[in-house]
Amino acid sequence: MRKYLRLHRIFIAQDLKKLMEYKVDFLLGAIGFVLVQAVKVLTLGIMFAAIPALTYKEGGVVVDSWTFNEVLFIYGFSLIPKGIDHLLFDNLWGMGYWVVAKGDFDKYLTRPVNSWFYVLTEKFCVDAFGDLFVGVVLVLYSVLSMPAEIAADINWLRLIPVALVMPFAIMIYTSVKTGTAAISFWTKRSGHITHMCYMTNEFASYPTKIYNRFIKTFITYILPFALTAYYPAIYILRGESVWSLGVTVGVSVILFLLSQLIWKLGVKAYESAGS
Amino acid sequence: MTKIRKYAPFTRAGIMESVTYRANFLFFLLGEIMKCFVMFFVWKAVFQSSSQETLYGFSYDNMVVYLFISFLSGYITYSDGSYAIGKEILDGSVVMRMIKPIDFDMCFLFQELGNKIISFSLIFLPITAGVEIYRFVINGRLMLQLPMLFLFLLSMVLAYGINFYFNLSYGFLAFFLKNLWGTDIIKGAVVDFLSGATVPLAFMGAFGQVLQFLPFASLSYTPVMIYMGMYDLPHILFYLGLQIFWLVIFALISKLVLRLAMKRLVVHGG
Repeated sequence: MRKYLRLHRIFIAQDLKKLMEYKVDFLLGAIGFVLVQAVKVLTLGIMFAAIPALTYKEGGVVVDSWTFNEVLFIYGFSLIPKGIDHLLFDNLWGMGYWVVAKGDFDKYLTRPVNSWFYVLTEKFCVDAFGDLFVGVVLVLYSVLSMPAEIAADINWLRLIPVALVMPFAIMIYTSVKTGTAAISFWTKRSGHITHMCYMTNEFASYPTKIYNRFIKTFITYILPFALTAYYPAIYILRGESVWSLGVTVGVSVILFLLSQLIWKLGVKAYESAGS
Repeated sequence: MTKIRKYAPFTRAGIMESVTYRANFLFFLLGEIMKCFVMFFVWKAVFQSSSQETLYGFSYDNMVVYLFISFLSGYITYSDGSYAIGKEILDGSVVMRMIKPIDFDMCFLFQELGNKIISFSLIFLPITAGVEIYRFVINGRLMLQLPMLFLFLLSMVLAYGINFYFNLSYGFLAFFLKNLWGTDIIKGAVVDFLSGATVPLAFMGAFGQVLQFLPFASLSYTPVMIYMGMYDLPHILFYLGLQIFWLVIFALISKLVLRLAMKRLVVHGG
């Protein structure tokens, strides 16, 4: 374990050196991610300019509603686990797009470390600071500008259980990427499958109640990105959905084991490109 | 005629490339269209939250049509010349194109046309059919008018042309910035917003009015509004004219930038 932590530190240090070398690349990448999020937030702002609050009705009866600040909070919060996974474990994307197809996976097999760990930690993706920056700014802004009666519902002690569950939320992202990247061991390329599954996280940035039952179930239990975003966020805001914290731990452990299994089987099935 | 014969192999290569990777394309498409479904539900909640039936002239089913058709037109008129050219400039393989008796931009254009033929045939029918069935169920009658469909297709062709030359010009930025990934994301975000791909320009008040005249609106907003029947004939003619205007402008800009860039090009080895 200690060896692995030390290795991870060395990898990060290498990437920080690279960052100092290519400052413009880092800056442009981070600005890009900030702008992508800024456009989404602007979109939300334009939507809310037309309505007092986002309400969800069933049969004409208001079931629940969220103010602009709350939606911003949920949106900003969703970027944090996503951003941390992006920062630390971005390298998995390469697997399905080119590493396996080119036979470059050989490299990982010839080193005396776990191949999954090596792929996972090899790259430290500083672009993610754009996402994380926007996420933190949105969370802070939405809380600070919140009307007093909504802010009164927030209990900051709830941050403690959320922080404890956070690693499991991040693991949901990492496991989805791992499991789908490992498909490439059989098919050579699977980057587009990873992309398809990963994009489901777009649903998680908004109140889950607005979706129909199928999508709600899907993003809570199958590709459970809602557990990384809406549920913990609404728990901090209102103390609702305490149950989701336990589900997050359970579901993410299952996903993790499943993705490890696919990876292990995949490594056995892997054939190099023969060059 | 000889010109077409000269470039036809590029189109054929583009078609073959797309057919080979069609499974990847479909998965990618499914991932991308997820965003439409997210916004489908978000807008539904927005319209439910409003006391009015319409917002800025859009009803909810207008909005649904807008979401999916702007996705469709965005996808079909998308051009990634900036990335392809930038990559060739950075690794120097661009010389292989320059020493051949062909036009630099034309071979990109014809190759991409091959890709477009495949993506068009794969996604145009399912999305428009889906949208029209949705409208039929809501309104109880067929909403699509054939003349509008033709004008929409024409407008999409123009939008693709603008996109192509805009991206070509943008691709040469790689010369000066030596960066592709970041600049491409920045471009994508800005263009998405200014072209109305994320929110209809009608929602943006006076700012949106100004945006309608900028080239970005010609990329996405114009074809979609034509499809939806939101413009009357004089407006359609005006905006089509505007699209042609921007097409000519960007074609000229790209020629100019190409000439400037070629003077600066240094390829080591290669």
